[in-house]
Amino acid sequence: MLKADNIASVRQYFLAVGITICLIFILIARFFQLQILDYDQYSKKANTNRIRKVTTSAPRGLILDRNGQILVDNLPTYILNAVPGELPNKEETFALISKTLGVKPSSLLKNYKKYYRGRFIPARLAKDLTFSQISRLEENILNLEGVYYQQFPERYFPSKVRASHILGYVKEVDKDIRQSLNNPADYEFGDIIGWSGLEKSYEQYLKGSHGIQFYQVDAFGREVGYVDDFPPLDPEPGKNIITTIDINIQYSLENLMDGKRGVVIVGIPETGEILGVVSKPDFSPDLFTGRIREQDWNNVLYDPNKPLVNRFNQGLYPPGSIVKMITEAILLDNQDFDPHALLKCDGSYQYGDRVFGCWYTHGHGNVDLTSAITQSCDIYFYKTIQYYALDKLANYFRLFGFGDVTGIDIEREYKGTIPTTKYMNERYGRSGWSKGALLNFCIGQGEILVTPIQVFNYINILATRGEANGPYLVFPNQKNDSKDLTLDSEVWDRIVFDMKQVVMHANGTGKNADPLVGGVDVFGKTGTAENPHGDDHAWFIGWMNYEGQKFSTVILLENAGSGGAVAAPIAKKVFNNILFDLKNTNSISMK
Amino acid sequence: MIGTRSNQYKELPFSIIGSVVFLSCIGLIVLNSISQHQEGGFLANPFNKQLLVLIPAICLSLFIVIIPRYTIHKYSYPLYFIGIVIVLLPFFGSLHANTFRWLNLGLPIKIQPSEFAKVFTTIALARYLSDHTIQMKKFRSIIIPIGFVLIPSLIVMKQPDLGTAIVMLVPVLPMLYWSGARPFYLFLLLAPIFSMLTAFQTLSFTIWAFVLGAVIIGARQTLAMSVIFFFGNIFLGLISPFAWNSLTPYQQSRIISFLNPEKDPLGVAYQVIQSKTAIGSGGVLGKGWGAGTQTHLKFLPVQESDFILSVIGEEMGFVMIAIVLLVVGYLITRILKRAFLSKDRFSSLALIGIGSILLAHVFVNTAMTVGLIPVKGLPFPFISAGGSFLISSYLMVGLVINLSVNYAD
Repeated sequence: MLKADNIASVRQYFLAVGITICLIFILIARFFQLQILDYDQYSKKANTNRIRKVTTSAPRGLILDRNGQILVDNLPTYILNAVPGELPNKEETFALISKTLGVKPSSLLKNYKKYYRGRFIPARLAKDLTFSQISRLEENILNLEGVYYQQFPERYFPSKVRASHILGYVKEVDKDIRQSLNNPADYEFGDIIGWSGLEKSYEQYLKGSHGIQFYQVDAFGREVGYVDDFPPLDPEPGKNIITTIDINIQYSLENLMDGKRGVVIVGIPETGEILGVVSKPDFSPDLFTGRIREQDWNNVLYDPNKPLVNRFNQGLYPPGSIVKMITEAILLDNQDFDPHALLKCDGSYQYGDRVFGCWYTHGHGNVDLTSAITQSCDIYFYKTIQYYALDKLANYFRLFGFGDVTGIDIEREYKGTIPTTKYMNERYGRSGWSKGALLNFCIGQGEILVTPIQVFNYINILATRGEANGPYLVFPNQKNDSKDLTLDSEVWDRIVFDMKQVVMHANGTGKNADPLVGGVDVFGKTGTAENPHGDDHAWFIGWMNYEGQKFSTVILLENAGSGGAVAAPIAKKVFNNILFDLKNTNSISMK
Repeated sequence: MIGTRSNQYKELPFSIIGSVVFLSCIGLIVLNSISQHQEGGFLANPFNKQLLVLIPAICLSLFIVIIPRYTIHKYSYPLYFIGIVIVLLPFFGSLHANTFRWLNLGLPIKIQPSEFAKVFTTIALARYLSDHTIQMKKFRSIIIPIGFVLIPSLIVMKQPDLGTAIVMLVPVLPMLYWSGARPFYLFLLLAPIFSMLTAFQTLSFTIWAFVLGAVIIGARQTLAMSVIFFFGNIFLGLISPFAWNSLTPYQQSRIISFLNPEKDPLGVAYQVIQSKTAIGSGGVLGKGWGAGTQTHLKFLPVQESDFILSVIGEEMGFVMIAIVLLVVGYLITRILKRAFLSKDRFSSLALIGIGSILLAHVFVNTAMTVGLIPVKGLPFPFISAGGSFLISSYLMVGLVINLSVNYAD
């Protein structure tokens, strides 16, 4: 029926079978390699492969005033994300979103590119969306495949105070920021991080930790459910911080400084607690939250008065006469010096070939140490420089906290400048300066530069006779026990007496600071600091003693004129405000 | 006649039938696992669909078993032309998944004509080689059979369906060998392919050139022929990098992703990585039926057909994989044995052809799932879910049973 016979040979048959068996065993060997030799590797891969880790942001801790009132809160806003691998048509989707939300498609695309990290990782399209925007979006959600929204806690400032330099601001973590961090693993793109002020100093307390959820995902990267083996980790909210700020005092200080340029600080000398501190001009605290317009941002950035600069720990000023108590202390330290000896001030003083003037050009007449402090006579201090050397003076400045940071819990504090022989030699050369420089230093002029927070620390040291703690803004704070400054109690008595005369004496330069309230003692010192940037800076430093409680203050007004005429009246208002609070609301709780 | 028929039952290849039944059952068990989380209608469930398609497949197989062998022999050429016509038909229809592979006849399943054409071509080739008492020792005599197979293959390649086209071409070489062609000529047929593949790397091309030279010298051809063969191949290798640029991006990307799977983790190579992960994580005994995470989280692509072996590897482990491959190997060697024992040349060659098709499917599919060769859209015989492919597989089983029984004439 079928004509041809089979002529296949045994050799052909064995070769065909051999090839078949070879191929089958190659395959089996490959499975042996994958399933037995490499089992661990693939098993691990299979477990990580099917799980997507999704992190949720933790709300930042709140920042409270000393009485528990909220200074910084969190506002729930919404952010919009897109998963690139799930977008069916990017252009169409973005067009629909922009139509629904009323945002530009170009800004969506810009954000999308900025936050793009991978096909299955959500990229942020928009933020600071309101609930009503999200509601409109929800109506169209069926047409927005691959688009998701998420609640995002944004910083929000509910109180009446600005306190912008205290609280600082936060930034959104981007690539550059993340690379600069010591702990980049704790942050993801789009997280917020404290960037200045307390937000930065207390970042570790405030930030909390991410919540982590593990989703099972399909090959399209879509979430199909939770993973039982890995329970979700709830986000841990940041811890609240309680500041030493009293919201009422802060508010009154901000009002007092409105329209001015300078710094005012109020605090408790013994502990170093700061009840209120204002650096003016300042900025609205929500400048950095993203709801601000670009125009406002540029206004702040290019303002010649530099509102972004934190003047109380970064502003460097010549202190002027407010440091005369340091000179007083160094004079009293010398056994040969007689504080009762009268020295004549006739308005000017010739040293070498230079003439140095007293601020009071008519001359104070015969003055002793007390009246030299009270009336802030300069000639008296010029005539007494033979009692000490430059380096001793510099050392006394250091004992009173100048030339070094105070350690206030706001970062990037400046040290200022306290000239020593070494410093002067390095700056001007060995023969480039003369002992006449001491005439400037003894009245707080010349190369001396201080920050207002150093001055606050200084007035606290004076008010507590050397027992003050360093200034700080957040409870609890470690007491600094090492006090290098040891002066005889007679020296303190005299200094304190003289400072009281400055305010309470009829001829005192600081008499405008007296709140004129019975039972209230005020101690102080004015300063009128010459500077190369225009009119004199007006200083007033002092403290008020009321029913055993002390409140210290530092007032600095840039280029405002005489300390006694301009700064002292502000001090009076500051003291009155504190007294008003104490009597009426008793809001300043002592901790 | 009746009496002889009943005697033939003793001759039925029960080992082959048993192997096919075993593999089909494994396929149904795996498909049932995959189908657990399947949404959609009755036919969207691969298990249901497989059960449904098995009915016509087995019927067709039984029909083939009972028809007389000479009928098969007689209609093998007409069937070959029908095969060419049906693989051309989809080009007049509409695109499905960007290809002209399928014919939509309004049936619940789309028909893939190339699956049938490959069987028809093999049978026709068996007839051609058995009918012509050709001088197989001459090189010219192997050119016609190759042209015979190339025509439908090129059409299928154009659909484009590279996998099926390769499977269609594969039986030619073993069948030529089986019918007595000189192995050296078969080597000359394969040489250009190696020349092209090795040309992309200097070292491999150098080694290949030495091998080529050695074989040509060993074959003791005339000097002129040897020189032509050798330099023809070298020239082909040198121009093939230019030919590369004429490939479609689809073909290029498949080759590239094979050479460097990590380069494009979400493209074609993604499938291979997921497949290897599924298989490797199965271990010795597997994760258990229905417990394959890669499978059920849909990390594993086309798991019910091209990558069904990965599901077996993940859920049933190395043990079941080895059993399946050994059974398949047993099935194919049994077919080869029947081919060897067959009394007539046509049946013997047809069995060799069918065995080659099955082995090509098994090897290409399995090697693909374990990343040994580039991804080719080829299913695994009897286990993978499929419409046309399952039917054509049972068609082949029917042919094997029919042709392997020696009539007592």
